[in-house]
Amino acid sequence: MKGISLEIKRSETVAIVGASGSGKTTLLSLLAGLDTPSRGQIFLGEREITALTEEQRAALRGEMVGFVFQTFQLLGSLTAIENVMLPGELKKQADAESHARELLERVGLGHRLSHYPRQLSGGEQQRVAIARAFASSAEILFADEPTGNLDSATGATIIDLLFELNREFGTTLVLVTHDERLAARCDRAVHIASGSLVANGATEE
Amino acid sequence: MNLNLILRFLWRDWRAGELTLLLGSLIVAVSTVTTITLFVDRLQRALHQESASFLAADMVIRSGDEVDPGLLQNEFTAPLQRAETLTFLSMVFSADRAQFASVKAVTDAYPLRGELITGDEPFQRGQPAEGGPPPGEVWLESRLFPALGVKSGDLLDIGVASLRIGKVLIKEPDPGGGFESTGPRVMMNMADVPATEVVQPGSRLTWSYLFAGSADAVSDYDEWVRPRLLEGSRILGIKDGAASVGRALERAERFLLLGGLLGVLLAGVAIALSAQRYAFRHFDHVAILKTLGASPGAIDQLFLLVFLIIGVLSTIADSAIGYLVQLGIVEILSPYIPVALPEPGIRPVIIGFVTGLVCLLSFALPPIMRLRATEPVRVIRRDLDSATVSDRLTYGAALAGTIGLMWWYSQDLWLTLLIFSGGLAALIVLSVVAFALLRSGRMLGMQAGSAWRLALAGMQRRGQENTLQIMVFGLAIMLLLILFLVRTSLLAEWQTQIPADAPNHFAMNISPADVAPIRTMLEDNNIHSQPLFPMIRGRISLVNGESASARDRSQRYQQDDEEQSGPRASSGRNLTWSATLPEDNKLVAGNWWPADYRGEPLVSLERDLAQRNKIAVDDEQVFTIQGRELRARVASIRTVSWDNMQPNFYIIFSPGALDDFPSTFMTSFYLDQSQKVFLNDLIHEHPTMTVIEVDAIIEQIQTIIAQVTLAIELVLLLILISGAMVLLASIQASMDERLKQQAILRTLGASQRLVMGSLLIEFCALGFFAGVLAFIGAEVTVFALETQIFELTYEINPQIWILGPVTGMVLIGLVGMLATRKVVRVSPTIVLRELA
Repeated sequence: MKGISLEIKRSETVAIVGASGSGKTTLLSLLAGLDTPSRGQIFLGEREITALTEEQRAALRGEMVGFVFQTFQLLGSLTAIENVMLPGELKKQADAESHARELLERVGLGHRLSHYPRQLSGGEQQRVAIARAFASSAEILFADEPTGNLDSATGATIIDLLFELNREFGTTLVLVTHDERLAARCDRAVHIASGSLVANGATEE
Repeated sequence: MNLNLILRFLWRDWRAGELTLLLGSLIVAVSTVTTITLFVDRLQRALHQESASFLAADMVIRSGDEVDPGLLQNEFTAPLQRAETLTFLSMVFSADRAQFASVKAVTDAYPLRGELITGDEPFQRGQPAEGGPPPGEVWLESRLFPALGVKSGDLLDIGVASLRIGKVLIKEPDPGGGFESTGPRVMMNMADVPATEVVQPGSRLTWSYLFAGSADAVSDYDEWVRPRLLEGSRILGIKDGAASVGRALERAERFLLLGGLLGVLLAGVAIALSAQRYAFRHFDHVAILKTLGASPGAIDQLFLLVFLIIGVLSTIADSAIGYLVQLGIVEILSPYIPVALPEPGIRPVIIGFVTGLVCLLSFALPPIMRLRATEPVRVIRRDLDSATVSDRLTYGAALAGTIGLMWWYSQDLWLTLLIFSGGLAALIVLSVVAFALLRSGRMLGMQAGSAWRLALAGMQRRGQENTLQIMVFGLAIMLLLILFLVRTSLLAEWQTQIPADAPNHFAMNISPADVAPIRTMLEDNNIHSQPLFPMIRGRISLVNGESASARDRSQRYQQDDEEQSGPRASSGRNLTWSATLPEDNKLVAGNWWPADYRGEPLVSLERDLAQRNKIAVDDEQVFTIQGRELRARVASIRTVSWDNMQPNFYIIFSPGALDDFPSTFMTSFYLDQSQKVFLNDLIHEHPTMTVIEVDAIIEQIQTIIAQVTLAIELVLLLILISGAMVLLASIQASMDERLKQQAILRTLGASQRLVMGSLLIEFCALGFFAGVLAFIGAEVTVFALETQIFELTYEINPQIWILGPVTGMVLIGLVGMLATRKVVRVSPTIVLRELA
């Protein structure tokens, strides 16, 4: 990545768009504090995450960041509800279970609470992942090609769900996609090519 | 698929690090087995040579009469070397003095094994001699020179022959320890025996016929001649050289063998684990190959060839490594190993090679076979299970491979089955327990709030995998504990057997008048001795009012072997009296009399004697001593440690009981090599006493036991190293799942303390369960081993109840943390990307 200067406002929805290998996922990892740049500064809220240790970044993630991955990244040994309970449990919230149940019902999986990921379809798995992302009451949500592994109909439902919940919770959403239609639903699209910012502007919608 | 493609495939796997663990396990497995086998093989042959020197041969026929020459010279003895010795007690005369001596006449080939050490002056260290004295010459033990007032070149009369005194006899390989070593040694040539005319009808002689040759030739001859020998002849093999050395040697061999067996087992487990992981990581690979049109047959071909190439190359390399490591060990240890090790043979290298291949086939093949069954649809749906090759085949192959290897290796089906079934039974029972333990009270959620609950919840959730892992850890720790326990009890037994200052001379036939002067003489020369025990021949005549000899006769129909059924009542025995309980004796019933007791005659009996004859405390027995009767009440029953090289008695009377009977006295004492000339003064001043010298034998026993001990410690160390490798392989094999879980927790913001804490707790808990399993399994197996194989008395071992679980926790906790520490060091994206 080189010469990237980018600001994302609270409650904004931003799409990072680019061809495969352009560096969009890397940018997302950096913004989310999953990775560290060799040079430069990144701020998340008030905190400069580039100055934090991995340990401090982990704490920050737990506090204010949620994730949705292309490959879902659910724990195979946990049921759907247990996966969604994780963030709450990490924060030692007493109501982690009831909160997780509500969220799963909200994403339409109230009837599959105790199913294991391998017993769920791809779309269902991604809905569990979305429920988990919102379970942490994160201020900012990062989604890496959330529909990349899904057919277009399922993908569309997932995206509707993601934006719906995003509005409901007033979350900031940063998502990586190469799907122009998805990007068009965001407030703003950031175009990346060969690790550089080529365009940064409001979408037409 | 052509070879070129396969080689490229192999190279890519290697470059990607997929083969590292598998190769590592293979290398450790095969090198451990090769190293142990090579080392044990060399050590065993060295010990055999050393022990053979005890007999001066590989096999000896000992007899009181001349053995029929037809038995000694035939097609069976043709491939063997032969020598003869004749031992007798005789007075020998110098110009002006006489001395009682033990004369040994030897043929020219003597000794067949070991060395005769001779010198030019008495009391020197000496050098090895080529064969015994030539005809017309005698060699004398050092102390005979001052005792007889002679020097080299003088004449010595034995019987009616005059022989010239040649060298000084410093050490002979087969000093013997019985009656014939009652006096100092004079060695002469067999050809001079007729001239002495000492061999007359009725003379007390010991003929020894010595044989040496290949193990097969010796055992063929042994088998043939044994049933043909007359009563009064005995065959001595290497293991009979000295009873305690024979036992020590036999047990040591079994121990080394056991060590090797456990090494094979550990190696197999390590290979199985890494092959499993290799296969697991290649499911996707195979699925993709299949979508690209590879048939199951082609997949089989590919992986079989890959494995064959890995197997053959690494085994060859490993055998070489094993050989070098073993050379290194020998090099490092050579100052401590007093015997020269013979050159390593080829057999251990073959064993290592075959072990590697068999392990690879029986442990690694089944998981690889699963690869062929991978469905191409896995490319799309990764979570499809690929297990279609039956588990029965997998486990069956591993079991068959293990048993086969162990059996081939030990050549002992009984030992193999014992270890195998003991271990297996313990594992099955305990894994059920472990599984039940893990499953009890399943908790909801991941309980991610605290490291404790997170860890335990995680363990329960992966109950099946964890049970398997506990079994593997448990197996490894159990094998180590078994080896440790057996080693400890073997060493303990050997060390108590002969302490460093064990008496090495027995003095007997001491008249009462000589007791005080001899005691003073021993004290003046700072010689540590046992008390002087009075000794009177006598026997029990009435057991509980019944004739002792009639009893023995009626029992004789059932069993006549004293070794098996215990000492007979009516046999003549050495009786003594004592105010105090001898050292090393332990009371098992009744009370010892007070030191100043002077009442009615009491007697204390040895336990086996009392048991065989059903004698209890307070029973009254009648003894016949020198034709007179003595009545005594049994006051106590005690055990005696017969092999402590001290005067020991079946029957001890209370003070005063034997005052009416004239007695002689005996004692035993310890003489250093430098103090031996003291014997001359002692015998010169008290010519009626008899001294039996067993110092040479004791010294040899101690040397061998020290060597065997060292060998055992070494093998334990080697096994420990391979055990640690198994643990590492096992933790590695389960690492992906753990890493993924912890990385996801990390993305969700879990703290380092939580992640590492839960991992530590999980590993320690696994280690703890494994340790519990291990100590229970070890107790059971050690019980079987010690009672069935090593003939030791089994005692429960509370120390491993703690040692097992603690070792498990520390080892697995430590290795686990080392292997997983990158979870918190590295950013979670990297971990997740690597695992994807």
